Amino acid sequence: MRQRIIFRVNGEMREAYVEPKTTLLELIREDLGLTGAKEGCGKGECGACTVILDGDAVPSCLVLAAGIEGKHIITIEGIMENGKLHPLQEAFVRYHASQCGFCIPGMILTAKAYLDKHPNPSEAEIKNIMMGNLCRCTGYEKIIEAIMAVVNGEEF
Amino acid sequence: MGYKFKPELYLRPKSIKETTNALMKYGKAAKIIAGGTDLLVDKPEETRVLVDITGLNLGYIEGTEQGLHIGATATFNKIHDSPFLIQQPYRMIAEAAWEVGHYNLRNIATVGGNICNAVPSADAPVALIALDTEVVISGPEVERNVPLLRLFRYVRETSLNSGEFLKELVIPPQPRNTGTSFQKIGRTKIDIALINVACRLSLKKGAVHDSRIVLGAVAPTPLRAYEAEKGLKDEKVTPEIVEKVAGFAAEATRPIDDVRSSAEYRREMTRVLTRRAILDAYEKALGVSG
Repeated sequence: MRQRIIFRVNGEMREAYVEPKTTLLELIREDLGLTGAKEGCGKGECGACTVILDGDAVPSCLVLAAGIEGKHIITIEGIMENGKLHPLQEAFVRYHASQCGFCIPGMILTAKAYLDKHPNPSEAEIKNIMMGNLCRCTGYEKIIEAIMAVVNGEEF
Repeated sequence: MGYKFKPELYLRPKSIKETTNALMKYGKAAKIIAGGTDLLVDKPEETRVLVDITGLNLGYIEGTEQGLHIGATATFNKIHDSPFLIQQPYRMIAEAAWEVGHYNLRNIATVGGNICNAVPSADAPVALIALDTEVVISGPEVERNVPLLRLFRYVRETSLNSGEFLKELVIPPQPRNTGTSFQKIGRTKIDIALINVACRLSLKKGAVHDSRIVLGAVAPTPLRAYEAEKGLKDEKVTPEIVEKVAGFAAEATRPIDDVRSSAEYRREMTRVLTRRAILDAYEKALGVSG
């Protein structure tokens, strides 16, 4: 049976009718057309489906849409500020951190959610936090460099 | 995979009573969902009704004179960051919480789910059992308390009756001069445990007065190594004693061969991790008394 849910996506109020088994990932990709989040493993192990749910980065393949009533979801499409790319996005460009790009939305959202709460992490801490985001191009060095550039206050 | 997972109804009860009523009404067709990180990987095909208990406000961690109370839907990151779990001997719980999966998973994965899923390799149960944690179970008629160890019946089997669900964990106050240690080996940092060991040592006059040694992933349920605990009673922590009781712990295991490791390796590593856990807990107990 479909259920009505009301929630916010990237600041906008939305309404949807979802099946109990519909995942948050399916909702945002299929119903809302926001395809930045990807399905990689479908088991919460790869991080490609990461979105920010009420301030925390989560694997959206393991969250059911019916449970997000009243919550706020931020996707990669919603993190620009005043018409400009988010500093993390700029950093990923400047440091050539994106290769095929499949994992990048998840990488950036994991980093953003963490930095919003912990503005001054060490590199070791960032590596630990990013552990659940896999890059099969294995471009980890540049990704960490880009995030640390933002942490270290480089201008973007 | 998971195409047979076809829940028809998603319920969001607002009270314990509504929850137990739903569980009674739908029986085995009802599955509790909180974080969902196990349920949506397993996707049990008998599921017809999902009962979301995150509206019951069970995400708390509180300290009282009776001990620490952790609500069933407290997430692992919340547990890791709790001011109540920073100091010995409770710190072990925060450390075990940090070993579950990866950071984003721990934003939603709950301690109650980790327990009720009852897989032998779970990290939280061994640490909690070593601190004599009791669970509060809500049922259709009454609430009951059970030692956490007794909740586990077999692989993926708990002693919860129909209509019942796990509401809270209560960790009793610990004796003075108590130190704890949680040890784990996994294939990778985010993989489940090959073996995990939790140790609590409570000292009196420099000797072990009371101890718990709890082993995970080496039997169908978490295991208390009673012989090892007996072997430590009233002893000073010397290399000889530690070696002897670590051997007792290894003997207590009933490990399996699987894709992650051989039974033989699991048994041998139980010895190693038990040794490390005892020495680490001892150092921390001395730190507390010093």
